[in-house]
Amino acid sequence: MQLHLDRSLKTPLYLQIRNQIRQLILTNELPPGFRLPPERKLAASLGVNRTTIVNAYHELEADDLIRPHVGKGTIVTPPLCSEHSSVDGLAIDGNSELLRLPVQPMAWQNFYTSQSERMYNPVLASILDEIGEEDQISFALGSPAGEFYPLEKFRQISQEVMQPGNWQAFEYGPTIGHYPLRKYLADWLGHRGIQTQAQNIMILSGSQQGLDLLAKVFLEPGDFVVMEEPSFIGAIGVFKAAGARILTVPMDREGLRTDLLEQILSRHRPKFIYTLPTFQNPSGTKMSLVRRHELLKLAYLYHVPIMEDDPYSELYYENQPSPSLKSLDEHGHVIYLGTFSKMLFPGLRLGWCVAPSPVLEQLTLAKQHVDLHTSTTAQWIMTEFCHQGLLDEHLPLVRNQYRRQRDAMVSALTEFAPQGLSWTVPEGGYYLWCELPPGMKAATLLTKAAEKKVTFVPGNAFYVNSRGNDRIRLCFSRHSETTIREGILRLSEAILEMLNQPHSGGTASRPPFNETLV
Amino acid sequence: MTYIYAERVKSMENSAIRDLLKVAVQPNIISFAGGLPAPELFPLADIRESYDRVLGAGDPSVLQYGTTEGFLPLREEISAQMRTKGVKAEADNIFLTNGSQQGLDLIAKLLLNPGDEVLLQNPSYLGAIQTFRSYQANFRVIPSAGEGIDLIALESSIKEHRPKLIYLAPTYQNPTGTTLTIEERQTVARIASLYGVPVIEDDPYSDLRYDGPASPPIKSFAAEDAVIYLGTFSKTLAPGLRLGWIVADRTLIAKLSVAKQGTDLHTSTLLQRATHYYLTHFNTLEHIEKMRQTYKLRRDLMLKELQKSFSTQVKWTEPSGGMFIWLTLPESYDTLKLLPRVEAANVSYVPGAHFFAHEGIHSNMRLNFSNPTPLQIKQGIKLLAEILAVN
Repeated sequence: MQLHLDRSLKTPLYLQIRNQIRQLILTNELPPGFRLPPERKLAASLGVNRTTIVNAYHELEADDLIRPHVGKGTIVTPPLCSEHSSVDGLAIDGNSELLRLPVQPMAWQNFYTSQSERMYNPVLASILDEIGEEDQISFALGSPAGEFYPLEKFRQISQEVMQPGNWQAFEYGPTIGHYPLRKYLADWLGHRGIQTQAQNIMILSGSQQGLDLLAKVFLEPGDFVVMEEPSFIGAIGVFKAAGARILTVPMDREGLRTDLLEQILSRHRPKFIYTLPTFQNPSGTKMSLVRRHELLKLAYLYHVPIMEDDPYSELYYENQPSPSLKSLDEHGHVIYLGTFSKMLFPGLRLGWCVAPSPVLEQLTLAKQHVDLHTSTTAQWIMTEFCHQGLLDEHLPLVRNQYRRQRDAMVSALTEFAPQGLSWTVPEGGYYLWCELPPGMKAATLLTKAAEKKVTFVPGNAFYVNSRGNDRIRLCFSRHSETTIREGILRLSEAILEMLNQPHSGGTASRPPFNETLV
Repeated sequence: MTYIYAERVKSMENSAIRDLLKVAVQPNIISFAGGLPAPELFPLADIRESYDRVLGAGDPSVLQYGTTEGFLPLREEISAQMRTKGVKAEADNIFLTNGSQQGLDLIAKLLLNPGDEVLLQNPSYLGAIQTFRSYQANFRVIPSAGEGIDLIALESSIKEHRPKLIYLAPTYQNPTGTTLTIEERQTVARIASLYGVPVIEDDPYSDLRYDGPASPPIKSFAAEDAVIYLGTFSKTLAPGLRLGWIVADRTLIAKLSVAKQGTDLHTSTLLQRATHYYLTHFNTLEHIEKMRQTYKLRRDLMLKELQKSFSTQVKWTEPSGGMFIWLTLPESYDTLKLLPRVEAANVSYVPGAHFFAHEGIHSNMRLNFSNPTPLQIKQGIKLLAEILAVN
């Protein structure tokens, strides 16, 4: 039994001992029946007072994890649940016979809703799952670079917020969000051309929650929704789960093709148009100003709301991007989603929605049933972070850095990419959108690439119908320039090998990531 | 522009919870309305140190995306805690949520089609009623027998109506403070397995026990996977963190995970890391013990003050744990209508009508004793009795 005490911690030694032994018991490294060392002996070996060990054992005993036995010493107890796990033969009047029948395992599949059948979104799952795989170079997960997280400042601010007596930061709060944060965002968005007020902003547990709430409030099974194609995986998943029929509009270099949109709007009555106009995920496209105006005009004409998803607009590497649709909207048609996840870091799960009051009212009501409100503590810390100007301070830093990373990826591709591979060079955001050499399938390439320890998201994940198999998305925000270069080298090798053996790919065994993409 | 909402929006009420949260922030009011722990008991210094340590370790992954099911070491810690309550659980039976409210929402999303029936106690937790209602569920009431539920009626109701779910808060229930006996728990577990109807066991209060025996969760008696257990750190740590968990079998956890991905990807990584640090480095039992002692005194005081101030026509429950006392006035009283008058005198409560799935009962109120100070309890109950003037 190996214990390590850290005398620099504020945690008392007896608690350190208790916690470590507890962990060992719970992970079964000390199995039931294991005899713990006698108190005096353990005290000597750890160089602590015997009382310390007595206290630690006492705590463990209180948790029912160990029990002293006369003559045998202190023994690890078996899990409690076995003691009353079965209650056979229990009688209710007149029903005792029935109750003795064997119990069938719960057949959950008979219980699920029709919505849950539509929820499956394997790509998102596998992207999240891959976090933590060490030697892999992942261009899949759309995450900011951890090395630039303002950890130390954030720590200091958390300490300031949690001043003794500031219980408010730990209490229930209003569903719509912490007022000072909403006020800050109203002003912050004001500097970006969006004229709004705190009362038109609600705080979300990440902007994904905004999509979920919008679906809940607006979508009946069978309703039409319009999206760009390709489009954000998370949005496709939510709308599909809601049972919506998705109408897709192709894009060109200026973004969503408004001429085609008009044809759709003249035939169908969609509940809303979902768009990610600035540095789109996955294509990196920036919608032109002309198109933005055309899109709004069509929305007014056909009376269709627009959901503008805007996680990337602050991450521009050339000129300031075009104004958001929300800032151009004169008739309350745009519902706007923002997030801290891509600008700062995603682990706090904080986003926001700007919407006309009646819509915000409905969204708030829906959110109340979903999670009451977003973490008060997280909102307080973020508010203070913003108030100290640290968000605005952080942005130029990451813009600079991500520009360099984008350039590193582009120049590595220029240097290593085999003939036939082409890619976009986005002016902002996180992603390069690549077209594979003719005939090559993204899913097959992924298998080959995984062997070489590099991953990406195959293009079909971003399409509603079975298209996009000739595309891949590469995220450049997460890794350093050196790692990006290495990753692109590996990817290029994988492509080259496939080009040299064109027929081997189709039947090769596929990693689990892939099968789910069918 | 005029927005066209989905049909289900009609069943989302403008809810009392929101009003409660509002009242709670009004100064000068003696509030018996909220379901709030006493903030002066939050282990603020310990939480603060936990954040300090977790953010100070130089590990950016504390602010990174995480897996949907939750931070593995925290799931391990919670499963260990569940085992000490007698529930068979491993880390992969645990699923982290943004408070147990989200647990209710995700389960409802997975299991409730419009028109499905939910069996529940009458009265029941408001937040649960509203969430099920937002999925357009219909309700069936489990008749009560004494403190508990009528088990024979429960069984015949299951046979007759084939409900999709049974929702129960068996321990120090919100709003009544009542608790099911061990025999009732065993039988519920058994009936649920037998008829294959899942039970949601909502258990926010069981750690707040002031007297009487500890009651093992219904889930601890369920030989199979029929019980979905909901836990939360809102009452034992702090509600504003928004952290809860679900204990369920692996098949359901996999489904929940898919549902939560589309809902918000996952619960805050930093919050989970800091909570894990807190649970493994501080004496949480001592903290809970401190809360118990404080709340017990407040409960005793409120019961004493009620005894002093109200006539025998008024009845109330005497809970052995939790946060609430349930007061029943003579039938002619309507606590909804009386509330403005009471609030004008700077006292508030929750009208009982909010906790009934069906309309019709108006003479109850829920009184919270954990949040107000002893002085407020004394003054507030006296004021309340004066205004209501039940003779």
